[in-house]
Amino acid sequence: MDQIQYYDANQIEGRSMTIILDNGKLETISKNSSKGAGIRALCCGSWGYTSIDGETDLETGIKNASELAASMNKNTPKERVILGDVPKRKVGSMPAIKINPEDISIEEKVELLREIEKYAKEESIKSTRVSYSESILMTRFMNSEGEEREYKTIKSGFSVSAVAAEGNNYQAGRESRFNIAGYEIFEKNDPYQLAKDAAETAKLLLKAKTPKGGALPVILDPELAGVFTHEAVGHASEADLVLQNDSVLSGKLGKQIASPKITVIDDPTLHEYGYYPFDAEGVPSEKTVLIKDGVLNSYMHSRETAGVFEGVSGNARAQGYSMPVVRMSNTYIDKGDATFEEMLEDIKDGIYLIGSRGGQVNTGEGVFQFNAEKGYLIQKGEITDLVRDVSLSGQTLDILNQIKMVGKDVKLHAGHCGKSGQTVPVTDGAPHISISKATVGGA
Amino acid sequence: MTKINADKIFPENKISIEEIKSGIEKALALSEKLGASDAEIVFSIGESTSIQFKKDIIETAKQSTSAGYGVRAVVNGAVGFAGTNLMSDLENTLRTAVASAKVMEADPLFKNFPEKAVYKEVGGLFDDKIVDMSLDECIECATDMISGVKSIENMIPTSGGFSRSVSYFMIMNTDGLSAQRKGTAVSGFTDVTTASGEVSTAYDYNVSRKKDVDFTVIGKNAADLAKKSLKGISCGAEKMPVIFHPFSFADILENTLVPSVDADNIQKERSGLVGRLGDEIAHSDLSIIDNGTLEGGISSGAFDDEGTPTQKTTVIGNGILKSYLYDSYTAGKDNVKSTGNGYRYSYSSAPGVDFSNFIIDFPQSDVIAETKKGIYVNTVIGAHTANEISGDFSIEGRNAFLIENGEISKPIKSVMISGNIFEMLKNIDGAGKDVRSVGGIITPSIRISEMSVIGE
Repeated sequence: MDQIQYYDANQIEGRSMTIILDNGKLETISKNSSKGAGIRALCCGSWGYTSIDGETDLETGIKNASELAASMNKNTPKERVILGDVPKRKVGSMPAIKINPEDISIEEKVELLREIEKYAKEESIKSTRVSYSESILMTRFMNSEGEEREYKTIKSGFSVSAVAAEGNNYQAGRESRFNIAGYEIFEKNDPYQLAKDAAETAKLLLKAKTPKGGALPVILDPELAGVFTHEAVGHASEADLVLQNDSVLSGKLGKQIASPKITVIDDPTLHEYGYYPFDAEGVPSEKTVLIKDGVLNSYMHSRETAGVFEGVSGNARAQGYSMPVVRMSNTYIDKGDATFEEMLEDIKDGIYLIGSRGGQVNTGEGVFQFNAEKGYLIQKGEITDLVRDVSLSGQTLDILNQIKMVGKDVKLHAGHCGKSGQTVPVTDGAPHISISKATVGGA
Repeated sequence: MTKINADKIFPENKISIEEIKSGIEKALALSEKLGASDAEIVFSIGESTSIQFKKDIIETAKQSTSAGYGVRAVVNGAVGFAGTNLMSDLENTLRTAVASAKVMEADPLFKNFPEKAVYKEVGGLFDDKIVDMSLDECIECATDMISGVKSIENMIPTSGGFSRSVSYFMIMNTDGLSAQRKGTAVSGFTDVTTASGEVSTAYDYNVSRKKDVDFTVIGKNAADLAKKSLKGISCGAEKMPVIFHPFSFADILENTLVPSVDADNIQKERSGLVGRLGDEIAHSDLSIIDNGTLEGGISSGAFDDEGTPTQKTTVIGNGILKSYLYDSYTAGKDNVKSTGNGYRYSYSSAPGVDFSNFIIDFPQSDVIAETKKGIYVNTVIGAHTANEISGDFSIEGRNAFLIENGEISKPIKSVMISGNIFEMLKNIDGAGKDVRSVGGIITPSIRISEMSVIGE
């Protein structure tokens, strides 16, 4: 057997619970406990990976992964992978958990959800849904270089959605908050107000118009600008995508790719939903400036891609015990100096897009499409009619260069990011930004 | 049904199905003592091998096993759920499910879990050749995809992979139901791009329950499409006929029509099709059948994940909305029979309504040749942002082409397509002969007489 130059293992043990209250009915109480391990071995240029559910025998796992790697290497030999060095960093502090959610009874949680739902049950709201989830996860990492680390995270979160209806017109509003936090998440966020907000959005959208599409000046709110940052800029800055020719930012390091007003940061040390003390390769986390004053400053790396680019690793993440992949953490556009009023005044006629219903990006061609939750027309520098079913599409690099003003009001929003079939917790955010021209889709 | 020798399928895992079965029987017997009126336990185990490549280099071989229990326990009609992947933890998991059910309010609408039934075997779901595949054979499938891509000039994969999987599922409940099934699948996927010059991307994939996939073709198709999409032109903003490739049509349907016929969404009034049974909602030549009994179907099986026998359900028959899709709970609530559409993501989640194989039927013809002017859209991005209740969507068409005088002509660089699924269903006026199975949605290319299209 050829020599195995490296192996590592992530052992995970966790418990989770979900409660769903739907239209006043306690629909689901679901609990899960799981244990397992993902083990990788590297033989020259080939990776072997095994994952096992349940009780695991690490020694057998390492042996199996090594055999896979070795036979791969024999079948399809390729250039040796040189892993980047582990940067010498301290492991940062963990977010403090005030109230362990497992110390609160299910009855009390259900009671709170019922209370929250009441605030969404307004007139013309047809249906409501409130969900709560919590999880406790132990992660143990070890590798063939003698590194051993472990940490425990507690996550909590909730979401409220409301559907308003009038004849055949159905509109939904949704609010959610997730964090690495205990039950105090309900103290740090006002769930009753968020329930009201969700209902209010749904009701307002009933009356909204659908705008005429076209190329327009646009203002994005922090949530939608955050989605753009994550989807269009963040993914294209993942070094694995760059290496496989799947990024519009390939070959652009050190070049001006955006308006000089733009600085984009990925920071896993922030005590937000995308936080981790060290990544799935045992590398202590650190902030990365992706774009500095419009210049592409760095990609995000795993040890393998760091080895290729002479970059710094710390962004390899995995869902549970899946195979680590280059991922974002807390990604945002840094604050600028404009106020919202200045943006309105400057744009004069255009559209203000708020919130996100998701989006999709082709990182290779740098093309994206996002749907806003709602929007307002801007006429003569003033906000006028409410519009719905509006989408924004365009070329990533075009938009980055067309950003005219950057606000001071950075806000982060927690969500889940999917890549390579794995989902990890992230936040994304930005201040309000204005764009001189973008394609807005409507009816 | 033939007895399944799961011990033989998973020799590595030292799991004895007889032991698992007797463990489940013991737990079910205990459930009554714990205060549950009904209980159901599923056990599933799956094993998969996948080979991943980046650019034209085979990088990783993965071998994964996943196995665990999912338990539902009922107290006064309330259903608690718990899951675990610790084989020794079944009894504890049952206790957790019962304890949760006790916290919930009584639900008089719960009838019972599916009863023991006679199943008709569905063919073509298991292939010994997939079970026996060696690592070298798996690598060869991935290599075939790569060489397919490279057979087209200046094209290279960005990433992709091959995977084979073998799965086994067992379900038992306190109503005497006891059933097991097994399945196999192989799949291949590749994203491609240009090796140099102008960037143009595309993807293709295929899945089969049998080892009958030509992996070279997957690579070649994707590369061919990316190549044809080079030098795209801009198109203006107008209304015109749009033909959707099976990939794009399936993507739109899955995010709009599929949730609209889910009985759970209907009962919660979160669907544009509430109270529309018997109404004409589509072109009179359009029929849509959900068929869980389809031979070799991606989502086929003799029974669903609750043990209900699968069936053929006419969802839309000649333009008329005929039926919603039900699992056992939503069926009990409407006093109808489950359509066998209770599915789970995995053992660790409770079942809910989902489609099986969704078959789109419309008279087929040379639809492109019959189109004087229009656009052809291969794939879309953003279909999941559709408003699934109102059916409104606004999405970006990819690998799109102009159709002029019955022929695919120039590629279109960027195009935004807006519409509403319920209007689309009425405006379908043609279908191609190119039926494909796209993640369980089986459809030809579909032409819509007029849609709103905005170019860059």
